[in-house]
Amino acid sequence: MILKFFEHIGQKTTDFFLSIYEAMQFTALCLIHMVQPKSYNPAMRMVLIKQIYFTAVGIIPLFIMMAFLFGSVIIGVVIALATQYNLQSQIGSIIVTFALNEFSPFFTALLISLRSGTAVNTEIAVMNVNKELNTLKEYKIDLIDYLFLPRILSGIVSVTSLSILFAIIMLGSGYIFTLFYMGMDLHTYQTLLANAVGVDNLLILLLKSVAFGFVTMLIPIYSGLKTANAYTAIPISVLNGMVKLFIAIFFIEVLSLVLQSL
Amino acid sequence: MISNLNMLENIALIKEVHELLPTQEAQAHAIESLRLIDLEHIGLNRLNQCTSLEVFYVMVIRAMMAKEEVIFIVTPFFLIKKLARIEPVLEKLVLLNKEQKNIIILDNLTNQSHYKGDLCNIIK
Repeated sequence: MILKFFEHIGQKTTDFFLSIYEAMQFTALCLIHMVQPKSYNPAMRMVLIKQIYFTAVGIIPLFIMMAFLFGSVIIGVVIALATQYNLQSQIGSIIVTFALNEFSPFFTALLISLRSGTAVNTEIAVMNVNKELNTLKEYKIDLIDYLFLPRILSGIVSVTSLSILFAIIMLGSGYIFTLFYMGMDLHTYQTLLANAVGVDNLLILLLKSVAFGFVTMLIPIYSGLKTANAYTAIPISVLNGMVKLFIAIFFIEVLSLVLQSL
Repeated sequence: MISNLNMLENIALIKEVHELLPTQEAQAHAIESLRLIDLEHIGLNRLNQCTSLEVFYVMVIRAMMAKEEVIFIVTPFFLIKKLARIEPVLEKLVLLNKEQKNIIILDNLTNQSHYKGDLCNIIK
């Protein structure tokens, strides 16, 4: 009984580390292909353009609306709290840090995960179950070059560009709230932001967006690839993929906070 | 067949990847092949919008786009639903086979009578 218990724990631990090793191997393989010029063939470029359109362009109206709604409310709360605690002198850096470093990339990553991450996971899982991936292999078409790389790159491009858009909208909303709470005019607000924004803020925004974009596509792709050979396995694959993706997003967020606090 | 691509894209993909042809040029080759057998109208259709016969021809054209010299067709009577006569199919294969590739059809002995007197040699 005790022996079986330890065997079970041992098996689970081995499986866990093996799956991490496999995932790392897959990530490394994708990164290697990303820097190889031969990966960028006409078919891949066409898929990349389509993916960027589906992921970044198609979502713009909804995204702008969400950015206005959530961005305004959040920045409003932050400004109200800063005023309440007499932090008016720090308001520029508070807004910049909150909008650029924290909320914009995080919210964008969540939205893209929900919309495109699930779609990509399902697409790869269906292709896997239908043996379409085998067809591509039979024709000696590299799956990483043709299927995975365009999706990963589109994730990086989309999350980064939409994060910047989100940050701009959020900073715009910030002006409305500073106008109401502090009676601040536009010129003062602009000067305040210009003084508060540093290269490090922009660098953090870019690095976090790239990291979020990378995992937003990589994890659903990997999860889709691991789907068992049955249609009933597709929802399970999407479910597992999304859970892992959300854990990865939170992990990156926490890691960036830790690194910033050093 | 790749379900998220239309018929033209399915055919053109091979030349885009292996011969690095631009998408438009590769699709022009695909349209040309489909036109040979009067199927250019299915170019923009997805898998679910085509009959099994149309899908069969697209699969053959796609195979002809590859560099391999031998094409195997396994049990066409199973692939094409309600196929009564193989002659029209064989005639179209001849039309498509401009590069004179070897086309080998593998079928069950029970279907042997369908091929007698046709454009192919029967090897048991």
